[in-house]
Amino acid sequence: MKASVFGVLLFIVPLATSVQGQTIDDGLLLPRRALGASVLYGHDSWSQYWEGDLKRANGNIGTVTTQSVTWVAGYGLADRLSVIALLPYVWTHASQGPLHGMDGLQDITLAAKYQLLATPLTDRGTLRAMVVGAAGIPASNYTPDFQPLSIGLASRQFSGRFTLNFQAHRGWFLNGSAAYTWRAKVTLDRPAYYTDGQLFLSNEVAMPNVFDYTVTAGYQSGRLCIPISLSQQRTLGGGDIRRQDMPFVSNRMDWVKLGVLVMYSLPAPRELGIRLGTSWTASGRNVGQATTLTGGLFYLFHL
Amino acid sequence: MRPALLPLVLVLVSAACDNTITSTEALPPLEAASLDSTAGSWRMIVLSGPTQFTVAAPAAETSAAYAAELAAIKSAQSKLTTAQRSSIAYWAGGGVLRWNQLVRDLVARFNLPPAPRADGTYPVPDPENPFADPQFPFANPPYAARAYSYVAVAQYEALKTAWYWKYQYNRRSPARIDSGIRALMPVGDLPAYPSEDAVISGVTVEMLKVLFPAAVEEITERAAEQRNAALWSGKAAASDVAAGLALGKAVAATLIARAGADGMKNAVGNAAQWQALADSAVARGEIPWISQESPPRPPMLPNFGQLQAWLMTPADVVTERPPAPPSTSSDQMKQEVAEVRRTVEQLTREQLAVAYKWNDGAGTYTPPGHWNDIAAEYIRDARMSEVRAARAFALLNMAMHDAAVGCWGVKYLYFNPRPIQLDPSIKTVIGLPNFPSYPSGHSTFSAAAATVLSYLFPQAAADFDVMKEEASISRLYGGIHYRSDIERGKEHGGRIGGYAVRFAQQDGAN
Repeated sequence: MKASVFGVLLFIVPLATSVQGQTIDDGLLLPRRALGASVLYGHDSWSQYWEGDLKRANGNIGTVTTQSVTWVAGYGLADRLSVIALLPYVWTHASQGPLHGMDGLQDITLAAKYQLLATPLTDRGTLRAMVVGAAGIPASNYTPDFQPLSIGLASRQFSGRFTLNFQAHRGWFLNGSAAYTWRAKVTLDRPAYYTDGQLFLSNEVAMPNVFDYTVTAGYQSGRLCIPISLSQQRTLGGGDIRRQDMPFVSNRMDWVKLGVLVMYSLPAPRELGIRLGTSWTASGRNVGQATTLTGGLFYLFHL
Repeated sequence: MRPALLPLVLVLVSAACDNTITSTEALPPLEAASLDSTAGSWRMIVLSGPTQFTVAAPAAETSAAYAAELAAIKSAQSKLTTAQRSSIAYWAGGGVLRWNQLVRDLVARFNLPPAPRADGTYPVPDPENPFADPQFPFANPPYAARAYSYVAVAQYEALKTAWYWKYQYNRRSPARIDSGIRALMPVGDLPAYPSEDAVISGVTVEMLKVLFPAAVEEITERAAEQRNAALWSGKAAASDVAAGLALGKAVAATLIARAGADGMKNAVGNAAQWQALADSAVARGEIPWISQESPPRPPMLPNFGQLQAWLMTPADVVTERPPAPPSTSSDQMKQEVAEVRRTVEQLTREQLAVAYKWNDGAGTYTPPGHWNDIAAEYIRDARMSEVRAARAFALLNMAMHDAAVGCWGVKYLYFNPRPIQLDPSIKTVIGLPNFPSYPSGHSTFSAAAATVLSYLFPQAAADFDVMKEEASISRLYGGIHYRSDIERGKEHGGRIGGYAVRFAQQDGAN
């Protein structure tokens, strides 16, 4: 029921200027020997969700809110290579009904971003192409078996990503990024479960792989940068939430989201930037119709 | 990519690629430890005796009619498809064990409460319209306990009858008679007429059509597949199968008649009865149970406690009841509420794992299904004959059905509120069942099951006791039961399990 914060971050942190290259799916790198550090706060909530294709509310959970504080660090290892690490702490809460919220460290993600290409395109701007490998593992022994209030899906995962970025000299930019994510099976605390039309007499759950893409367009002027984006996640398998059932870790979780972000780097100190963002879920399957708000601070160290 | 990162990535990729899950218990081909040739004389539960249904004498092994049946098997064996071979391998694991798995699957599929209507009311699943929304049945724990027990008892009665006739006629398996026929699953010295596989197929399909009518199509397919596997494997001839199928269906009709009159039809009750339960609690000076669901849902099967038990008389059901719970206004109740709250707020990861391990809530095979899951491994490892396996499941599931009857009777006698009703600041880490608290159904089921399984598998009694304790206390960890619900539930379930043990001690199977 929950996109991992890993997935959310791909979307909410698409681009930066003074702190460029800090995220996994933007088409930019950190300068060599530069360390970007940031702290992000995320607030994700929904009161309606898709039970399979059926959109509904549920008085036994009311509004489900997921808050997160994520530490992000990026480092320019070389002119063409940056590495990035993410670690969120997540809290969940249901506004109605008996269910207890959960909290804890979610998944740690390590990514390496390599620039294949950076070339002037006509006289209007620069085209860049990136490949990114990202690996995520649960950073604590949290349960994925209490959806939608589990703090994540607890699956080890690896994604391969390709990003194209065009940065126009006049401030416009366009970024397209797509990834395929392989997900390892997860282990539950129970010996059997029913999903996708079958009883499994096992504590292990096969996790379907995921395809996602994000298209971002924006304008940068001075210290201000405003990207808007469209992103889609498609889970390549998994069962629907059955009628009046609880969601399950391996459900087919799909969504389309629209988002806007405002990033601003301060006049002084110039290394400090702030960002505010919001996103809205246009459509989905086995996920909540979430509205997210994010806020964050960045600092760029030149080592 | 930096060399330092590469090994980590490779490890994660290789882990991510191994995504295979074994979905069922592995069942090796069943080579029964004993023929149980006296099973035809084992004590019946519902039938008057093994001759209540007569199986006509078969054609002689030397007859022309039978020779034609043997030729048909040879012909079938000469052109078996991969699908047919895999179906033989599947059913070779044992019909009773396979159907137990399949019933657990059905329970998990149908164990979903109806969704509320727009006006905040709830529709009631309708057996006359099982494919609608809500689907029929809602296979909640009492319904499931009853379903598992009807299937197991029907199989057991039918197989005892089959064993009786097998040893009346002593006709061998095709693979034993004709060296041209291969035994593609274990074919022992058990007489083949009537075929035990066909008996199980016939009796089970008829029971399941009544219990899970919306699954009729796949149940029928599975049952036919089981009979064909017996035929193709050289274990049974067409006339063995036909006689077995007819016997199985005849026995099922008797059990279906019992099911139609056991009180299940009235278990849901009506609004006036639900109100009377609350009024009764108020009249006794107690806080009555109130549904914590939104919108409030009628209580689950309030009249299930009036159902016919298998091994207890209505007087026994009343006699074995535990005493009243602590008054909702007592100091003890306040302390127990505080213990629930404290437990949930200080829950360890290990306790949370226990709560999930035994939760067996909506969408699962239920606590009775969990105990069938446990029992299946012991039955498999003991290499029980089909009739002895059926006995084990019948004893276990009669005890759990009677536990459901006993427990639900007490739940609605006292109509005791759940912890979160008395202290709304308590939050639960598992779903909150929509019926009164006292006593704990999990504890009652688990104690009844552990008592029966400890009798059947005494070498594992200590393990069953640990499981029972863990299943019971899991409800405190989950935040949905007081300690006294659990303690009284265990005692109650243990007494109810004793009825099945006493039956088993005198049933002639030892």
